[in-house]
Amino acid sequence: MTQSKIPVDLILSKLAEEAEKVQSRASKASEVLLEDLDTAIAQTPYEVVYQEDRVKLKHYLPRTKSRYKTPLLVTYALINRETMLDLQPGRSVVERFLDSGIDLYMIDWGYPTRKDRFLGFDDHINGYMDNIVDFIRERHKIEKINLMGICMGGTFSVIYSALYPEKIKNLITTVTPTNFDTKKGLLHVWMENIDVDRVVDTFGNLPADMMNLGFLLLNPARLMIDKYVGFMEHNDNKQFVENFVRMEKWIFDSPDLPGEVFRQFIKDCYQGNKLLKNQLEIGGQLVNLKKLTMPLLNIYGKFDHLVPPEACDQLVKHVGSKDTEDICLDTGHIGIYVSSKYQKEFAPKIAGWLKERDQIPRKRAPRKKTTTDKTAAGANKPRRTKKANT
Amino acid sequence: MNENKEDPSGMTSMVDTWLKSMGDLLGNMATQWGATQGQQQPWTLAGKGASPQAQATMDAAFKNWQSMANAMAAPESMSALLKGSGAMPEMLLKLSQSSLNGFGEMQQSLSERFSRMGATAEAYEFQDIDENIFRIWTDIYEKEFKQFFQIPQLGLMRTYQEKANQVADKYNLLQSTLAEFLNLLSLPFNQTMQVMQEKVGEMAENGALPDESRVYYNMWVKVLEGHYMTLFQTPEYVETLARTLNTLADFSAARDSALEDLLGSLPIAKRSDMDDMARELYELKKRFRILEKELKK
Repeated sequence: MTQSKIPVDLILSKLAEEAEKVQSRASKASEVLLEDLDTAIAQTPYEVVYQEDRVKLKHYLPRTKSRYKTPLLVTYALINRETMLDLQPGRSVVERFLDSGIDLYMIDWGYPTRKDRFLGFDDHINGYMDNIVDFIRERHKIEKINLMGICMGGTFSVIYSALYPEKIKNLITTVTPTNFDTKKGLLHVWMENIDVDRVVDTFGNLPADMMNLGFLLLNPARLMIDKYVGFMEHNDNKQFVENFVRMEKWIFDSPDLPGEVFRQFIKDCYQGNKLLKNQLEIGGQLVNLKKLTMPLLNIYGKFDHLVPPEACDQLVKHVGSKDTEDICLDTGHIGIYVSSKYQKEFAPKIAGWLKERDQIPRKRAPRKKTTTDKTAAGANKPRRTKKANT
Repeated sequence: MNENKEDPSGMTSMVDTWLKSMGDLLGNMATQWGATQGQQQPWTLAGKGASPQAQATMDAAFKNWQSMANAMAAPESMSALLKGSGAMPEMLLKLSQSSLNGFGEMQQSLSERFSRMGATAEAYEFQDIDENIFRIWTDIYEKEFKQFFQIPQLGLMRTYQEKANQVADKYNLLQSTLAEFLNLLSLPFNQTMQVMQEKVGEMAENGALPDESRVYYNMWVKVLEGHYMTLFQTPEYVETLARTLNTLADFSAARDSALEDLLGSLPIAKRSDMDDMARELYELKKRFRILEKELKK
């Protein structure tokens, strides 16, 4: 009698073992889920120092003595909320910046309603952003501030810095799409065929739920199945559940996107790639990237499926600045900000980079270009290489 | 004689007698009316204070009816009337014939339309019926059914009826496109199942079947992810996604337009009113900001 190739007995005993584990886990999970869970996000204290319409300017209360002469303004995207930078105590980019002694401001774009449907790039950049920058400059009696942009907020920051280079001392772009002529990211592929006029004319603003569904469809196997399977496997762990719910809160706390911003983002950026071509026009002014003469730090994720490296890594080649640095981290679009591992690298890197350039008045920028080796091996270890001026 | 030949049923004499008696009756009524006009009978319409104008009108009416009846009783009029009545069955036949022809044509057109549906479907390969069925249905709907919702509407309510038809049409189109899109999304599941069956079969043959269910799940989710990534980059998916968004937008626009009409009769501001106001506010604010900045300078 030959032995069966399929270890039926082993499989059955494992199944029985797993069924027992699931039962025990389910019992513990019900206790955890009924407990008083701490799932609050954005807990770092701040005050609203400026407000215009729905847009607010948050100023975080310092946790230590300020070690920088120039304050930092963070501009988040109009998609999702800036609370991602402050998910929970101990896992917060905001906290890390404050602990480094950075005087931190952050724009809260609020929740656009139907009346905001006509607000486009011009209103957000020449309007709200410029007013906020002027407010901070006046408040601190300084000529220039540091600006950091995230995702679409990074695109806004690039445009703003090109239009008002006299007001920006250092520019940091993180996961910022500037090159839209790539087939690497699914968003880039999909957006080419979208009839944006029809969508905006019908819906006014782009509904957040529609946007979220689109993001989930970028990877349904992981985002709609595997993620929740993972939750079911660990829902007896209180800390895991709390972290998971915090993330869920952030992901689905999505404001609608003002219609005209969406129209311009798709037509001029995704379909026209006008920013890199210096053809983008905002409020009657042409955006010329050569006017970006301030130091530029450009950080992006190697496994970012929303804004792939190809969408980010062209910027430094097109700006007028001689002091630029590209950093490609071995992580995704959100991992840069929320993963404990990359938070340890990301925030101190920015703080250190700003510290090096915090002299007032800034003299001539070093005539060098610094880039980071973007190979898989060296991706998360920024390495400076001097390049000849071009 | 001629009349008798034309009317073998004796219809002429019967109508002639009836018309003569009608003429006599009306003549008598007119005479009676004239005789009573000075006495004012209680049943008269005019009553006590009846105006002479009303009485004159009644006189004239009776006289007209009497002369009409007499004129109709004349032999030449009778002949014309009989000719007309003889033509009646022919006329009715023509009328019913043309209606039947119209109905037949409509039926023929419908059967042609249905046979064309087959032709439309033939454009696709039925070997891939599972994958193409939703596309075929969308295509059939667009080519063969859509027109029914575009038949011009008439009359006072035409605008509303047209809008209601548009909502129905756009809804149908959205449903068929959505079914097509959802079907595309389900394809990776089918393919993954096939791959898994093959893989598990191979492992069983090699005696390397894992005993942990998690291993199977990890394998399944990885294969599924791969299939989705492939699907999402295909031109078919990109085109279907764009079309689904367009049909959703079209349906929403048609629905909103019909709802706006309903709201128009209620004391509630319509969305378009609010949009107009928002735009005016937006433009005013913008001008204000520009002026404010110029003043600061």
